[in-house]
Amino acid sequence: MNAIPPRTGHALAPGATVRILKQPPEAHCRTPYYLRGAKGEIAEVRGLFRDPSLLAFHKPGLPMRILYRVKFKQVDVWPNYAGSKNDTVVADIYEHWIEAIAGETK
Amino acid sequence: MERKVNDLGGQPAGPVCLDEHPSTLHEKRVDALQKILSGSKLGVFTSDAMRRAIESNTAEDYKGMLYYDKWIRAVRDLIIEQQLVTAKEIDDRVAELRVRLAKTGKL
Repeated sequence: MNAIPPRTGHALAPGATVRILKQPPEAHCRTPYYLRGAKGEIAEVRGLFRDPSLLAFHKPGLPMRILYRVKFKQVDVWPNYAGSKNDTVVADIYEHWIEAIAGETK
Repeated sequence: MERKVNDLGGQPAGPVCLDEHPSTLHEKRVDALQKILSGSKLGVFTSDAMRRAIESNTAEDYKGMLYYDKWIRAVRDLIIEQQLVTAKEIDDRVAELRVRLAKTGKL
């Protein structure tokens, strides 16, 4: 995988608070069900990649999509999570599944 | 909100078997076929298309089929979709081989 960096200012910054969209999956979808609707934080900008939901149908996969590594607190993902409140889960999610939301006031 | 047959994360699944086993000849052949077809030289389909084909199985088939059986079904569906061969050509060849196997005990 040769990741192309997104244009300056076009990607969400690491640390940004986001929500994974609750939308119907594409015919080939890389966003897991259990994360849809979950609140998380951008951990890393992975780069621009061809869109797998289009590559899956023999298309060029354009426009390219920014892929983010997103970190979630387990307690924000599972309603009855019994482990530590500091436990996290990390997933690679494409930009068209992500909305930026206001961060928590600390 | 729709959940695809392959999207099993977070659902109860019981204990996971972590036993290792050597690959069978059949598994190696399926793997080789997939790699040749999706490699940069032929580029008949992408690994994304493989995944999409596997994910289009019914829930019953997805759970019931072996890993490489899902692969070979996906390869079959995709080479037909990409017009490399027709379904009839595959079916005719399989019928021919079944007859040969019944007559001679060999393929």
